Amino acid sequence: MHRIVVDAMGGDLAPDEIVQGAAEASLALTNAEIILVGDATVIGRLLPRLRHDGGRVRVHHAPTFIDMHDKPGEALAQKPDSSIAVAAELVARGEGDALVSAGNTGASVLACAQQWKLVDGITRAALAAVYPTELRRGEKDDPFSLILDVGATVDVVAEDLVGFAVMGSAYAKLVSNNRRPRVALLSNGTEPTKGPAAVVAAHARLLTSDLNFIGNIEGLDIPRGVADVVVTDGFTGNVVLKMLEGVTETVVRLARYAHKERLSWRLGLFALSSAIDQLKELTDWHQYGGAPLLGFAHPFIKAHGRSNARAMTNAIKVAHKALVGDLCGNISRTMAELA
Amino acid sequence: MSLLTRFQRLATLPVRVGERIGLLDHVPDGLAPGAPLPHHTFRWDLDKTYLRTEFDSFADLAKAAFENAADKQAYPGATALLRALAQPGHRICIVSGSPTQMRQVLAAKLALDGVAYDEFVLKNNLKNILRGRFRSLRAQIPYKLPAMLRSRIGAPAARETLFGDDAEADAIIYCLYADVIAGRVSIGDLERVLIAARTYDDDAAMILDLAQRAPKTEGISRIFIHLDRRSPPVGFRRFGHRLVPVFNYFQAALVLYQDHILSARQVIFVALEMLDSGQYELGHLATSIQDVIRRGRITRETALRLTSDANEASQSGALSGRTDLPPFEQIASSFRERVRELGDGPLDTWEVDDAPLDYVRLVDEEHEHRRTRRKHGHTSSS
Repeated sequence: MHRIVVDAMGGDLAPDEIVQGAAEASLALTNAEIILVGDATVIGRLLPRLRHDGGRVRVHHAPTFIDMHDKPGEALAQKPDSSIAVAAELVARGEGDALVSAGNTGASVLACAQQWKLVDGITRAALAAVYPTELRRGEKDDPFSLILDVGATVDVVAEDLVGFAVMGSAYAKLVSNNRRPRVALLSNGTEPTKGPAAVVAAHARLLTSDLNFIGNIEGLDIPRGVADVVVTDGFTGNVVLKMLEGVTETVVRLARYAHKERLSWRLGLFALSSAIDQLKELTDWHQYGGAPLLGFAHPFIKAHGRSNARAMTNAIKVAHKALVGDLCGNISRTMAELA
Repeated sequence: MSLLTRFQRLATLPVRVGERIGLLDHVPDGLAPGAPLPHHTFRWDLDKTYLRTEFDSFADLAKAAFENAADKQAYPGATALLRALAQPGHRICIVSGSPTQMRQVLAAKLALDGVAYDEFVLKNNLKNILRGRFRSLRAQIPYKLPAMLRSRIGAPAARETLFGDDAEADAIIYCLYADVIAGRVSIGDLERVLIAARTYDDDAAMILDLAQRAPKTEGISRIFIHLDRRSPPVGFRRFGHRLVPVFNYFQAALVLYQDHILSARQVIFVALEMLDSGQYELGHLATSIQDVIRRGRITRETALRLTSDANEASQSGALSGRTDLPPFEQIASSFRERVRELGDGPLDTWEVDDAPLDYVRLVDEEHEHRRTRRKHGHTSSS
């Protein structure tokens, strides 16, 4: 039985939507136990209102929680009994196998970093994010590519990037059912000599690995889906991710503007409405649940701060899949082969 | 076999054949002449309560009808619980909505499980069809309520405990039965409920007569509702504190332990059967304890007392030969830890609401719910 610890108090819609997502996951995952960490009185009032399996949803009391806007380091130091700190500690103590949180990203990552060990051979953790692309991949025809790191490690050396490539590949294999994910380094040119020293050195090392390394790609290749796993440092990755989100929001705003501005444009949008709905479904982050924090000895899925019940259920399912597929073990074994 | 016995069997053959094919109603065995009255009666539903039965489509229904006894699956822990309840002075009565034609296979299943019972009543749907009473095919109140009242008249017990599932009808029927025999539902009110339940006039008259004749007592201490559909437990709150929704039979055993009906050793047997089913691990049982405490259905003290009593039972051999389990102290420690995990904050409390249930409204709501389910392609259950 896999035990998935969920920070019940983290997220804009916590605890109601988080508890509901966990309740639904308890019905979908018959060989898992969900451990909800948070105010036991509050959770105890919510759970009986929901369809769930009372033999598979456990509550662990944590009297405080960290707000979405709190400063991570200070908040964790002041609230060692917060839901995220207690949740990370439960996993560290071996009372849980994976963690899911929609709460404060900095505090979640820091709580794991303070209490969890890294996978053997991994030097730095990486936060991965998925984004929709033109091409599809894997047995599931997955439209999403993975980019890592998007913020956990700002300054990297070549060794860190190699670790990110291994972790991203292992995750894509498991979650997208993609047997040989195409791994690429993000750079300012496709030539092996282009980019900062860390990228050039990582390129040389990845060429000798067993990964399906396709070399360097440029920014324009990201939305095209040329690579299934895009490897970069946390600073660049975060800028890229925010830019992708910004472009999407701008397109939506432009469409709204067009809708208001002219009847002919409105009719054109109406004609395209079913395609737009499909696109919306494709890019709906509620579907993929959350972003994994890779590199630690236990899976951690960071769900979107605005996660609703559906997004939380999916994030818990991803955590479960990571446990069933022994994601951390696979990363460790690949790193050992590379050494 | 003596000639006399052969003759007696031959003489009862038409009745037996009639009952088997459903042309005649099976008359439940009442108390033997001179037998003492039971002091506690346990009434069980079968489908979705004792037996894992899928009724969600007509294919499921057909499968259930043609399964043999060995194929039928009891819920983990249900068999051990039924066996534990079969004590001297206790009476086990089964009232199921399954058709009478299934008596042989269901009786064989209960025999295979080693479950002894005193009464076994099934629904005579063939008779309903032959009489053109198609409303009765689905109706539960006009079938189960008189069956239970008749059983009570035949063998009145001071206390009763009822087991059903989370099809809404079970909770309504059991509470209605409890209130009728407690004298809380007047004949006029019962008549209105029967009209709402679309009961045929002669059946309604028969039920009203039974309700008047049934010995009155406040003795329905517990109604267990097995959450087969995983319905939200809060939906059953309106039925009052006596009704306990349970996710599994370990939880039912815990409540019965708190009520001093089961011993710690018997609770252990229920737990062992659930572990042996392969569908539960020790962690699930510990979490199940936490769940009933959280819902205010057993106290923290009861859970802690159970670990201490169960320790004594394990030392006197309740776990002998169970090399697959960790030492009992380790199990007890994990159970205690699960209770501690809830912290010291206030847990769910029950505000006692003495307002009588509005059964007419409940029946109307149940009908509406059933119609909605049918629209979505589900058949009725129980």
